[in-house]
Amino acid sequence: MSKYLFAVLLIAITAWYLSFSATRLDRLHHRVETSWANLDGLLQRRAAIAIEIARSEISDPASSLLLTFAAHQAREASIRDRSQAETGLTGALGILIETSTSVDGAIEQDLLRELKELTEKIKMAIAMHVDAVTRTQLVRRKWFIRLFRLAGTAPEPVTYEFEGDVL
Amino acid sequence: MPLSKKRIGIVCPYGWDTPGGVQSHVGDLAEYLIRQGHYVSVLAPAIDEESLPDYVTSAGRPISIPYNGAVARVLFGPIAFSRVRQWINNGSFDVLHLHEPAIPSISLLACWAAEGPMVGTFHAAAKRQKVTFAVAPILEPVIEKLTARIAVSEAARETLTEHLETDAIVVPNGIYARRYRDGVVDSRWSGNTLGFIGRFEEKRKGLEVLVAALPKIIAEYPDVHIFIAGPGDSQEVLKEIDSKLHSRFTFLGRISEEEKANFLASIALYIAPNTGGESFGIILAEALAGGASVIASDIPAFESLLGHGKYGTLFESENAVDLSSKVIELLGDENKRRSIAQEGKRYAQEFDWDVVAEKIYDVYEMAMVGGSTVTLSSENRAWNKFLGRQ
Repeated sequence: MSKYLFAVLLIAITAWYLSFSATRLDRLHHRVETSWANLDGLLQRRAAIAIEIARSEISDPASSLLLTFAAHQAREASIRDRSQAETGLTGALGILIETSTSVDGAIEQDLLRELKELTEKIKMAIAMHVDAVTRTQLVRRKWFIRLFRLAGTAPEPVTYEFEGDVL
Repeated sequence: MPLSKKRIGIVCPYGWDTPGGVQSHVGDLAEYLIRQGHYVSVLAPAIDEESLPDYVTSAGRPISIPYNGAVARVLFGPIAFSRVRQWINNGSFDVLHLHEPAIPSISLLACWAAEGPMVGTFHAAAKRQKVTFAVAPILEPVIEKLTARIAVSEAARETLTEHLETDAIVVPNGIYARRYRDGVVDSRWSGNTLGFIGRFEEKRKGLEVLVAALPKIIAEYPDVHIFIAGPGDSQEVLKEIDSKLHSRFTFLGRISEEEKANFLASIALYIAPNTGGESFGIILAEALAGGASVIASDIPAFESLLGHGKYGTLFESENAVDLSSKVIELLGDENKRRSIAQEGKRYAQEFDWDVVAEKIYDVYEMAMVGGSTVTLSSENRAWNKFLGRQ
């Protein structure tokens, strides 16, 4: 009798633990989606500011051309080319900021300050996203999660290369 | 700043009645956010529920337990848990901010009970202990629910990566830098004077190290005098000190904020000989903001706060000989002393609440991107249904 009781208890605990793990994993996937949405939004804003900077007095025609091109690519890139496009934009903005040491106009200074603030935020967003992704990958790799296919059809989250470059 | 007013819930794990770094951080942050027009509710353990500020809700009486080498006034248990759930359920918050979610108190309970945008702040910096291996599997599924993590210093961040293998954004603790900016030099405290602020009776504040360094300093500067501000029984401490040195000490007791500003502007050197247990060193940030030239022990929190010696002078922790030689060197070199203090004062503006609270709010915004609000987690909802509760 007690043998059956024990078996029932064991099954109940296993079932609870599996459902708990599934919820946990679901939550992690949700976290990855949120952090990516956040990062994506900030990157779009960066591209928008880059275009504004390209049209302002800060940049000479040559760098304007380069910047506009890079910004458009970043905005329109498919998910596969996104990494390269964002790295390109980071590079273009980097060159511009290094070379434009003296900026007078109030609007221009505003733009540069906004870009600086945005870069700070992007750094935070990347840290959050990378953490969410690595945590999810770690949990997905557990043997019972793979055995019972608790991840379901959710695709394995990945980090992009540019995330290292922007920092 | 904020485009829309948010409902923010903050959980403080330690008893509100006892003074401490985390409590005052939570209080200052809540007041700042309220001034910005947000709705803020703080949940904290408290003994005296009558004298709490409007924005604080009591979660019950704190229990004193030894934790991590000190006595912590924390709260847990089924009654506390149901209060936490009730607070979350009634609050309909846009974001939850949990302080120290890795210690056994109501922040951990809240993290367990809630779902949605959550931000955790880690204050403690501790060495890796064996027990971590046992505790981590319990904490991991809870801590990973946090949308974003904040560490108050590089040291706290390292602790977090080592213990729980997760990264954090560093946002320092806040001070009201403006209050200390315009201190005037008071002749009572100027000259060859050393200042010390804090609960001097506590061993980890390191007053003993300063006392041990004193004879050597006196040999070079016979007129050196030490001013100590902060609560405590000065007679008890003097008993431990050689009676020949008694005339060197003046105990000021608790001082007002204005006096503190003048004090920091007047003294020649501010000494922080703490031997450990410090995660951020708020008093050092205040001393820098007040324009004092600082000499501090090289414990991790102080080292990172002082930019590895750029904004203040570091000496080897618990080494009285090293402390005395650093003091003698700086008392003899006023220009160096002043230039370090100038650097430090400028740097301390980064810790002003205007800067710090904005950064924290940025993190809130990032956590809130999904647009969902804080609710009880699905496990807890199911439980409530099962028990026939709402």
